[in-house]
Amino acid sequence: MASESAAQSGALAGLRVLDLTDYRAHLCGRLLADFGADVIKVEPPGGDYGRRIGPFVDDRPHRDRSLFFWFYNSNKRSLTLDLESARGREILLDLARGADVIIENFGPGRADAMGLGWAQLQEVNPALVMLSISPFGADGPYRDYVADDAVLTAVGGMLYVNGYPDRPPVRPLGLQAYHVASYYGAIAVVCALFARDRDGIGQWIDLSMQAATTGALEHVVGLFFQNGQPERRHGTLHWARFFRAGKCRDGYVLNCTIGDWTSLIEWVKGDGAAQDLTGPEWHEYDYRAKHAEHLFDVLDAWVADKRRDEVVERAQLLRQPFAAVRFPGELFEDEQLRARGYFVEVEHPELGRSFRYPGAPALMHGTPWRINRRPPLLGEHTDEILRGELGMNAEELAVLVGEGVI
Amino acid sequence: MAMALEGIRVVDFTWVVAGPVATRMLADNGAEVIKVERKSPGFMGPRKIGLQPDLNRNKLSVAINMAEPRGVELARRLVKISDLVIDNFSARVMRGWGMDYENLRKIKPDIICMSMSGLGHTGPRRDYVSYGPTLQALTGFVRLMTDPNGAPAGYGYSFSDLAGGLAGGLVALAALWHRRRTGQGQFIDLSQMEALTGFIGPGLLDIAVNGREQSPVDWRSQERPMAPYGVYRCAPEGDDDDRWIVISVATQAEWDRFVGAIGRPSWTTDAKFRTLYLRIRNREELDRNVEAWTRNLPSEEAMTILQRAGVPAGAVRNGADLCTRDPQLRFRDFWGRVPRPDGPDTYVSGIPYRLSATPGSIRSNCPEVGEHNDYVLGELLGLSAAEREELFESKVVWR
Repeated sequence: MASESAAQSGALAGLRVLDLTDYRAHLCGRLLADFGADVIKVEPPGGDYGRRIGPFVDDRPHRDRSLFFWFYNSNKRSLTLDLESARGREILLDLARGADVIIENFGPGRADAMGLGWAQLQEVNPALVMLSISPFGADGPYRDYVADDAVLTAVGGMLYVNGYPDRPPVRPLGLQAYHVASYYGAIAVVCALFARDRDGIGQWIDLSMQAATTGALEHVVGLFFQNGQPERRHGTLHWARFFRAGKCRDGYVLNCTIGDWTSLIEWVKGDGAAQDLTGPEWHEYDYRAKHAEHLFDVLDAWVADKRRDEVVERAQLLRQPFAAVRFPGELFEDEQLRARGYFVEVEHPELGRSFRYPGAPALMHGTPWRINRRPPLLGEHTDEILRGELGMNAEELAVLVGEGVI
Repeated sequence: MAMALEGIRVVDFTWVVAGPVATRMLADNGAEVIKVERKSPGFMGPRKIGLQPDLNRNKLSVAINMAEPRGVELARRLVKISDLVIDNFSARVMRGWGMDYENLRKIKPDIICMSMSGLGHTGPRRDYVSYGPTLQALTGFVRLMTDPNGAPAGYGYSFSDLAGGLAGGLVALAALWHRRRTGQGQFIDLSQMEALTGFIGPGLLDIAVNGREQSPVDWRSQERPMAPYGVYRCAPEGDDDDRWIVISVATQAEWDRFVGAIGRPSWTTDAKFRTLYLRIRNREELDRNVEAWTRNLPSEEAMTILQRAGVPAGAVRNGADLCTRDPQLRFRDFWGRVPRPDGPDTYVSGIPYRLSATPGSIRSNCPEVGEHNDYVLGELLGLSAAEREELFESKVVWR
């Protein structure tokens, strides 16, 4: 295990990140901050647009009560800075001198037009890593096309394969195009830092959110190149045809036919519900996959009168990968997550309350993942950053406030 | 200039999907990823076309029989010259081989071991048997992605494996970075259920803070308020009537551009669609009017008309649209081309980002099991041809 002092800091401690993104790419900086990087969220003086997106604490809209903003900005510090003003951009370039990473999603060419493009930043800090996240990338025929998460799931291929045949496609839970783009972005940033460590140079990363979405499809691409036919959507029937949700007495259960067939069919037979599934042909994976619709119809009828948790408990004892089809609220009561300390309590002194936040994607035994800072209030760290990092005095700060720069 | 991760070596025991996605992130950037595999690794389809190349391009394969003590010894020698060991077994498998972190750090003090199990290595449910769809059911994706008729419709594929793989790739990189800084390795216990839970997003805080269970996802926004906002049916193409477009109109300026782009039909001047609030209130009628326009146009054409006017819109691409027709992915050389020994080249999903100085690359197809036995055993471990031959004969290594 790591020494006590190293255990105090995360794996990316010591890195400084300037996060200029809007709500479509907030997660990227958050991921780096969770590993201990010092991430400064640069917001316009009126506040980031994400602060206007609900849900809100107690359903009372306010820039410091947006749960959308909270989720994506924990562990960051907030600096207000008007990048539309010349003085604001000057201050940003000063900060860039001492930063390791800068992340932006203004849109292709916009950072250059603002005087904050890679060419300009490289001049003040040749070792900087700059990540530009845009809907379709910085070049190509769609370069100037615009997109929200739903449009990206459409053009990235994620939407088409979710939902029922002959019905409209069903959109994902969560903003998954934004999420996977942020993960790819964070991965690219750490890769660039490795290169910087070795070669002594920074670089510019051009990330397409559409391509990131396409890069997060499991089967669609590979099976198209194999079969020459697009994969369709089949409701909850997984493309590999070993999983489908069935309705039981008190909810839904995910039935599964990938485990040991003998123990499963003996159980179903014991309940008198095996119908025509007793033949030897059903022992073959391929046969089960090929006749999956009928197979799951029989299993649906079998579970219809059972309780969800009773089916799952017994199945898991037989090492059958069944699962309860749950609502996310059940995660907060989940004994496994509780035993592992997944949810973490985060204090909000300004509200006199504390809340349970979702925790780490992995337990790192040498470098803790922590929420050291609740999401910042608007401009909460402007003063400490400009005084502490840039050595400004009270008078300069007063002028900047008066001019509306901060 | 060398790729970003050249010089990093990974011993990869993972199979199926999430683990290979994680090591793909590393291999694409130049890390040497060596898959340690069984002779017949199961039901994942052919090695040189389809899913396997998408997951395992750029990797090497050595076929070591871990049931043999001498096989385990070979694997331990490989760990001694590597940086990261990754598996997706339950805890007892690696321990049974003496390949768990506590044992491996004795032979390689700064090794990083990452295990990517379904529900984690600790806790009462650590032995729960799970695949991607299992985890999607447990976390709410199956239930909350809902057909308009109310039936669960959650992910038709194992998004969980991609989520877990992306998280695994990032966590591994963070641990490697820490090691470069401090010389310290560590053990990482990644629960794919926990990684996936984080992908649910702000709705989790709505539960925690407001005590509100989440409703099924529909085309009320999960981000800023929008209308028109939805998936609209387009004109059939040939005998394919499964063609759709997503349109997302947020601001008044976008609405004005939308109205212009569709030719200002008279319904758009109706007072009930005048403001965003009214458009949301009257969304069912609005959606019917929008679909009356999209229904007569091929999805690509509708997308082009709207995007040229500055309106967020996207054709709902299927696999064929993506892989053969999308002009943007093609322009950006997204598809990686890999050779096959017994047929024409095939293609894989590429790298969604470009590093200007040290870009990653797609260099080789998925290896056959044991394809790099000679390189790994000979060049890396220094075994002579005669020694390797003896290992094959003794079935410690397969070929």
